[in-house]
Amino acid sequence: MAELEIRGVTVKHGGITAVKDASIYAERGEIIGLIGADGAGKSSLMHAAAGVIRFEGEIVFGGTSFDSPREAERLKPKIGLMPQGIGLVLYKNLTVSEHLSFFSKIRSLKEDAALNDYKQRLLKMAGLERFTERPAGKLSGGMMQKLSLICTLIHRPSLLILDEPTTGVDPLSRLELWKILEEISESEGTVTLMSTAYMQEAEKMDRVYLFDSGTIIASGTAEELNETVKEYVYEPVACRSDRCIAAGHYTYSLDPLEAPHKEPTLEALFFINALKRGVEIPEIEVSERESEEPIPQVVMEAKGLTKRFGDFVADDHIDMELKSGEILGLLGANGAGKTTFIKMLLGLYPIDDGELVLLGRPIRSAKDRQGLKARIGYVSQHFSLYKDMTVRENLLYFASMHGIDAKKASSRIDRYAKELGFASYMDSLPTELPLGINQRFSVAAALLHEPVVLFLDEPTSGVDAIARSQFWQMLKLLKRKWGIAILITTHYMSEAEYCDRVVLLKEGRKVADDSVENLYKKHPAAKSFEEIFLHYYEDGR
Amino acid sequence: MSPGVIRAYILKEFRELLRSRLILIVYILPTMIIILFGYGIRMEVTDARTLIIDNDNSTISRDLSARFEHSRYFDTRVTSGMGEQEALKRIKQAKVDILVIIPDSFEKRLLHGEKTEIGVFIDGAFPVRAATMQNYVKGVVYDAARSLTDKKPTNLITVNNRNLFNQAMRDEDAIVPGLIGLILLVAPAILSALLIVKEKEEGTIFNFYSSPIKKSEFIVAKLVPPLILHTVNIFILFLWATWLFEVPFRGSFLLYWAASQIYIVISLGVGLLVSIITRTQIVAIVLTIIITIIPGFLYSGMLMPISSMSGESKIEAHIYPVMYFNHIIYDTFLIGQGLDSPKNRLYLAILFFYAVFLILLGSRLMKKETA
Amino acid sequence: MIGTFFALVAKELIGFFRSWGLVAVVLYSFTLDIYITGAGIEMQAKNIAVGYVDETGGGMSGKILSRLHMPEFQKPVMFTSREALSRSIYNREIMVGLIFESDFEKNLKKYGRSSIDMLLDSVAATQSFQALQYLQNILLGYAHIGIPVELKIHKLFNPNATTSQFMAMAEMLSVITLLGVILTAALFVREKENGTWDIMLLMPIDPKLIILAKSFSQVLIIMGGVVIATGIVLFGVFDVPINGSIAAFFLLSFFYAFTSAGIGLFVAAVSKSMLQVAQLSILIMMPLIFLSGAWTPIHAMHPLLQKLSLISPLRYYIEGSESIFFRGTDFTDLWSYFAGVIVLGSVLYFYGFRKIGRLF
Repeated sequence: MAELEIRGVTVKHGGITAVKDASIYAERGEIIGLIGADGAGKSSLMHAAAGVIRFEGEIVFGGTSFDSPREAERLKPKIGLMPQGIGLVLYKNLTVSEHLSFFSKIRSLKEDAALNDYKQRLLKMAGLERFTERPAGKLSGGMMQKLSLICTLIHRPSLLILDEPTTGVDPLSRLELWKILEEISESEGTVTLMSTAYMQEAEKMDRVYLFDSGTIIASGTAEELNETVKEYVYEPVACRSDRCIAAGHYTYSLDPLEAPHKEPTLEALFFINALKRGVEIPEIEVSERESEEPIPQVVMEAKGLTKRFGDFVADDHIDMELKSGEILGLLGANGAGKTTFIKMLLGLYPIDDGELVLLGRPIRSAKDRQGLKARIGYVSQHFSLYKDMTVRENLLYFASMHGIDAKKASSRIDRYAKELGFASYMDSLPTELPLGINQRFSVAAALLHEPVVLFLDEPTSGVDAIARSQFWQMLKLLKRKWGIAILITTHYMSEAEYCDRVVLLKEGRKVADDSVENLYKKHPAAKSFEEIFLHYYEDGR
Repeated sequence: MSPGVIRAYILKEFRELLRSRLILIVYILPTMIIILFGYGIRMEVTDARTLIIDNDNSTISRDLSARFEHSRYFDTRVTSGMGEQEALKRIKQAKVDILVIIPDSFEKRLLHGEKTEIGVFIDGAFPVRAATMQNYVKGVVYDAARSLTDKKPTNLITVNNRNLFNQAMRDEDAIVPGLIGLILLVAPAILSALLIVKEKEEGTIFNFYSSPIKKSEFIVAKLVPPLILHTVNIFILFLWATWLFEVPFRGSFLLYWAASQIYIVISLGVGLLVSIITRTQIVAIVLTIIITIIPGFLYSGMLMPISSMSGESKIEAHIYPVMYFNHIIYDTFLIGQGLDSPKNRLYLAILFFYAVFLILLGSRLMKKETA
Repeated sequence: MIGTFFALVAKELIGFFRSWGLVAVVLYSFTLDIYITGAGIEMQAKNIAVGYVDETGGGMSGKILSRLHMPEFQKPVMFTSREALSRSIYNREIMVGLIFESDFEKNLKKYGRSSIDMLLDSVAATQSFQALQYLQNILLGYAHIGIPVELKIHKLFNPNATTSQFMAMAEMLSVITLLGVILTAALFVREKENGTWDIMLLMPIDPKLIILAKSFSQVLIIMGGVVIATGIVLFGVFDVPINGSIAAFFLLSFFYAFTSAGIGLFVAAVSKSMLQVAQLSILIMMPLIFLSGAWTPIHAMHPLLQKLSLISPLRYYIEGSESIFFRGTDFTDLWSYFAGVIVLGSVLYFYGFRKIGRLF
């Protein structure tokens, strides 16, 4: 019998079935991955396994079985749960060391030299040893996630349940998180259940379960799973049937194509599953802009932009240029100053130092911005739309804010809905939609007035592979057909490769600014962009 | 229950309270309420703005005006020759509360033994004040009139009243002890509800759900900090009452303390129940205020003695714990029977029962699982 | 411009009507809450519990006791001894204790005057004082005094003198304040928390317009509540008189609702989270409501509080409303109340515009 066995578990949230009849097993020391689109039921199953939600079915861990949260109490000393959401379980006002001592005390750990050594080891692994006196609220997202993880590890759980611990976390922190995880599994024999949106991570796991609408539809090691879809994966070519889809560097087709096969990644699983189930993956289209307004050559020019918060310099004399018809990727670790930079460009933060020219106009005061607002589009980190209005109402509302007359607005909204593939969701509330739909409809809201420049702050975090591929399809079309400039931040290094140029920020300073090809040339040894990124970060460490 | 776990949790709560400055509310709010209400509410009417139109301007009419001027109940201005309409307009503009019109030939008619009439107009917008002002005016005028006539009144019954408990009939004595009851009901409930709902709203509640901490340990850890912090308020409020508002204290301090301590536990129980049915801090605060302030006022005895209640309101008064506490609190300040009185002993026992019942009910209903 | 304004307003109204919890709270506040306060809080002494010990054997004492009846007094309860009566007062079951001594009637017949001993629980000072006055008035009715002065007393504006009417009106004004501040503050802070506020600032519209429109939407909600409360609760249930112009009252309410929304704007401008909104609202609203004159006329307060009350917009609103409902003050004489409300409101919006309504 396996160390962990989840047998036929069903979880319901107020009448809606979140997970149906799911079964999973894991041996000692294994890291088990749960993947699937947002809302597929991963979190609910993890909550059931952690004994924090009611469920039907049975879960056995280390020979002890439970079928309700009450029964699970006996096992809680052995379980560690890190729920989804950056820094969710942290107390914003408590410092890093206070967290460690709080978590060790509520776990009734013996305060001795061994515990102390273990704490030091965890701190060192998480790279937090220099920040023990910093309140959690002032840590960057990546640091918060690492702190949450080591707080979850403090009692050496033998069952570790991590719900998307790496979403919204930069590659470097992700790597460190993984190091901790692997070390613990190895030395303590911990069983780990972990959901993730990064398929590269899933590929490192011992076994992966693919969720779709509350059921587990596939499971196995990454190789086994890849093997099952291998025959459908091709080098990028155009598609001619609806049993085929082209996405980024791959084309997936259920029918044989006249193209060479390509080695699949786990992302292929999502596409093939969708194709097999006949789920319509709408082809993204973008028509020409209606406006004939010319777009200036240089859309944005920043010289020595600086932002300070007290003693802390968030952005330190950054120069940057953004041209029309260009997708510029702004990369950097959590807390490197990307969001702050975009907010300065937009005027949401005052500029402490430096010069900014937007659409040919030097920005010295809020007045200078007034006329430019109609030409800028912005999508913030959390897709800030009104949750109490339907998609259509949201879009109509934003259209009227831009003074677009009702008839024109309606036709434009319908066109976007069709082209960007959310037409069937027009009368739903944003909270009822998958993240990927929310993401595209937020961009639609930012495009209603046909801006000449688009600022996108982490638009793809937590979004599943299919939706992300559609999203990039949209950006490329916008660039080609509209010729506008796009500035985007992301933590998916694979996405950086879609950018024309990338700027890398590190601790508030610019450390690289070049095209992707040139960067590959400069780092010939790098096999992926992630390695290039890490290279810049590991320098001087 | 593990003392180590509880201690760690409590320590964490205190740190957060201090650093989030929530602690300011714990101490500013009660003091603010007692000072605002204590100074702000005056049931007693003094300095009613009185305008006397003396159309007679005689010795007697001037003597009558002088009696108004010398009374602390009136803030008097005397004039003559102002028209009635003009004067009434002053009342409409809320510049004058009472208008007294002394007719011409007032003195002459009085000396001739003829009847005469004084016109009085009172702003009745605020009824209680109007009734009181009416009685004041009657008192002054009849007193004056009596001194003018040498006829002995017959069949006169006077009242030898002995005012018990609040001899000087001070508003402060009447209101401040009731305020203590109101504050100790509202404030600890808000704080305890917040401490729990905050974790629910922010997600840190998962640390409780997913760890072996027992429900009882969690509840103790959440309720002890408000209990300790608000215990200090028992003393602070006592000081404000006796020192700032000079309310006498005739009973046993120990009884005051013990009853207040139990009452805080009741309030914490209310907060605990609120935290079970709410998910956001804002709703928790609003709900707590709605369910505590109105009963806290109505059944405090501050405005209306419980003995004057009848029907439903009397039954309701007996259902809420407010009445029992206020009975004891007024006893300790103004009456001083203490535990010698069987009623006080009974009420103390009832309070204790409420405290235990609410906390047990809360622990019963709280779930250690997410929805 | 106008179109945008109404789009903004419509959006907030949609949001409001979709959150049924909020709608329920607002409806509750404008109806039941005002009803409970009006019906429940009674400052006029009524239904007073009386006990007596009669050592005379009836006659005059019986006559007097028979005059103690509803609504002012409960039926007097007889006690056999002074100790029993006193105990009952100490237990606060009886508020007024009357003792007719054995020579009470004899003295009255012999000397033309006599006296009753009265034990008065004076904890609730105002009510006790009124009880005393009731009794004195009753006794005065038996006396033949022969005073040549007659008092002709007119109680203006609220001749039936019910506290309910006044309390209901005052509570409605408090509800307007409470909701005006909290709804508006919550509206802006929720946008700040969700990040939609940033998006709004980036729209090609003057942020002042956005702020005004959003406040206006809450003002509309509140005015809806005011209409319901005035029509159903004040006029319907409590029969509150309206001696002045109802239009003037609605106009004043409209401006006041805007000003209280301005306080909400201020709270939102200085808060980062809902928790802070809640805390600040309580800290600001408590003094506001109690310095307003609803409970005690301003001129009877501590001098320092009187000065402070000058910056409470509710003060002007309550005085103004009292004047309109009860005193029937002419429209032209109401200007100071309008001025007070509008000036304070303008200051709040000026601050709000600067603090949360701008880009850099």
